[in-house]
Amino acid sequence: MSEGTFGNPEIVEIETDMLIIGGGMAACGAAYEAKRWGGDDVKVTLVDKAALDRSGAVAQGLSAINTYIGDNKPEDYVRMVHADLMGITRDDLVFDVGRHVDDSVDLFEEWGLPIWKTKETEGVSLKDGGKPVRSGRWQIMINGEGYKPIVAEAAKKAIGIENIYERVFIVKLLLDANEDNRIAGAVGLSVRENKLYVFKCNTALLVAGGAVNVFRPRSTGEGQGRTWYPVWNAGSTYAMAVEAGAEMTMMENRFVPARFKDGYGPVGAWFLLFKSKATNAFGEDYATKNADMLKDFAPYDTAAVVPTCLRNHLMLKEMKEGRGPIFMDTPTAMKKLSETMTPQEVKHLEAEAWEDFLDMCIGQAAVWAGMNIRPEETVSELMPTEPYLLGSHSGCCGIWVSGPEDLSSPDEWKWGYNRMTTVKGLFTAGDGVGASGHKFSSGSHAEGRIAAKNMVRFVQDNSGYSAAFKADIKDITDEIYKPVRNYLEHKDKTTAEDINPHYILPRMLQMRLQKLMDEYVAGTSTFYQTNKVMLETGLHLLEMVKEDAVHMRAKDLHELLRAWENYHRVRTAEVHLRHIMFREETRYPGFFYRSDFPDLDEANWHCFVNSRMDPESGEWTMMKKDWVGLVDHGH
Amino acid sequence: MPTFVHTDKCDGCKGGDVTACMYICPHDLMKLDTERMKAFNQEPDQCWECMCCVKACPRQAIEVRAYADFVPMGGAAIPLRTDTHIMWTIRFRDGEIKRFKFPVRTTPVGSIDPYKDKPPAGDINSALLFTEANKQLPTI
Repeated sequence: MSEGTFGNPEIVEIETDMLIIGGGMAACGAAYEAKRWGGDDVKVTLVDKAALDRSGAVAQGLSAINTYIGDNKPEDYVRMVHADLMGITRDDLVFDVGRHVDDSVDLFEEWGLPIWKTKETEGVSLKDGGKPVRSGRWQIMINGEGYKPIVAEAAKKAIGIENIYERVFIVKLLLDANEDNRIAGAVGLSVRENKLYVFKCNTALLVAGGAVNVFRPRSTGEGQGRTWYPVWNAGSTYAMAVEAGAEMTMMENRFVPARFKDGYGPVGAWFLLFKSKATNAFGEDYATKNADMLKDFAPYDTAAVVPTCLRNHLMLKEMKEGRGPIFMDTPTAMKKLSETMTPQEVKHLEAEAWEDFLDMCIGQAAVWAGMNIRPEETVSELMPTEPYLLGSHSGCCGIWVSGPEDLSSPDEWKWGYNRMTTVKGLFTAGDGVGASGHKFSSGSHAEGRIAAKNMVRFVQDNSGYSAAFKADIKDITDEIYKPVRNYLEHKDKTTAEDINPHYILPRMLQMRLQKLMDEYVAGTSTFYQTNKVMLETGLHLLEMVKEDAVHMRAKDLHELLRAWENYHRVRTAEVHLRHIMFREETRYPGFFYRSDFPDLDEANWHCFVNSRMDPESGEWTMMKKDWVGLVDHGH
Repeated sequence: MPTFVHTDKCDGCKGGDVTACMYICPHDLMKLDTERMKAFNQEPDQCWECMCCVKACPRQAIEVRAYADFVPMGGAAIPLRTDTHIMWTIRFRDGEIKRFKFPVRTTPVGSIDPYKDKPPAGDINSALLFTEANKQLPTI
């Protein structure tokens, strides 16, 4: 094969047994588990659009591991997740994460992750009975700046760096020519060389994170990069699953974190560890004052921890009625804590407060430094962010998967291999698995491992398989490189290449998407409200964005990366919109409101909403699926 | 808080095809200007300020300047990372300096031996991960 040129890439074909698409926590967990089960018989290949040491949602680091079961029971974890996500989660999947997650945390510590311990058990590992410092019932504190490089090192050593492709962005899954609805491979572009990588595989794990910047962000200048979830999460998991014909679930769900304003720094440690309170402009504890509002959303109002969306709902009332800004009263909290502390302990407390930002959200530290905010002296503003789509934090959109076989779940929840989607051979984990939130970093790693073991089993059971693509690789190449060719063909037709009627810049397409999602699909500018007519209007505009996506340009490989990221965002936006349109109730007040159906409707909508797009015709089918509880939820 | 590169400190990683910052940036932002042999951020408004490039730069040539659209001028957060610790310098707009030092890793970099002393693969049809050999898994 001749060397590629810009516009005519070299096609590199790689055959493997198990393809891991993504490089975050789930991907690293999968690599680690797969090699032990597969040994030399199963070739494992990992493809990451960035560098494994610093890719995915943990790239920057974390200050806490939010899921560690410890002395709790997995059943209680299932109850917490169920209540936080307003009653519609898969107990089988959540329980499965709960019973495996601590094993991954033990590994992290063994590999070198510093985990805080109580004074009495200082220096004792969790495995040997060390007691973690808990910031909440499920959360443990860590020195987590180096979290991702540590986890990546184990994954690299497990499968060998020769099996890891960095800076290759997978943009499409490929289906089998001979067997209907079966994965056969994936195709991705190199962002460094004029190469297109075509992977043939027996099974694939789609773990490319959640979706960020689908909605217009609150900061639209330089600060649009300061998203809460990583700005590089482009909805690739959801978009590629949809286009492969996988059944999706709960794609109406979203996450709107209330965070420190603009920097989007974490508030968990402030609320849970430092016992800080949030107030309205006039010092009122609005959560207590507005508590009666939550009765409309019974039975979830009485959960042990008030669901995240309901807490937003209380905050939004204050903002909408003109009693903002909302403040986090850090000085009072620190003063109270320091009353019983030595000066040295107070200094340590201050360092902990800063580390909370510096480990995982350095930008917030810079906001405080730039604004002369010292938490012991000055209150800080809180603000609910633009919406995010994810399945691992306090959100549960994603792909419908088969669950563990050894639990008393309905047969429809275990049709195949654990964590396999409805597309044969295609698995997912982390942000990809729907109806199962609150996995966070540790649960995503454990879930990647669960999926990987089952993928090895799949490979063994399908050992005679030989991949043949349904699609023509030349057609796929033409499609993927269309933005480059649009640019090369038309760039000289105007005197300023950024303004040219023959193409649209990926950046402008993203802005069109963000504007319509914000204005019609319950973004920040409508206080997260929408209705049927707004959604129809939004869909009409979105269809034209989809049509125009083929006219995106790419003046270099970096812009080609952006073009396909934005294509994935558009597809993700579409499935989100269609699900919101289908669910005629307000299930997640504080995350979004159907103003034409403002009430929680347990009688008609306590069920999963699933969808599937036919990959041939593009036709959508929307479905309700029964919810079943496997533990007693008390209602 | 987009990254910026000090002209006098950056040496383009001495002519390699890929500089340390290009290699590590999770969002493909850092780019080498091959004429000047200096790196720069090609899309500053996509910067997540994760500081992966700042920490990786062998010349400490990269810093961040807080987002101009909402942060007043003058503050900074500057890391200095080793294999075991990270030292932060926080400079306030009013000039006050605070320093914090945190551990990042308890084992030597490169020391992970993933399967050492771990159980072999067991029953592929069970629900157990390989490190959970002989564990009794709870069910519901």
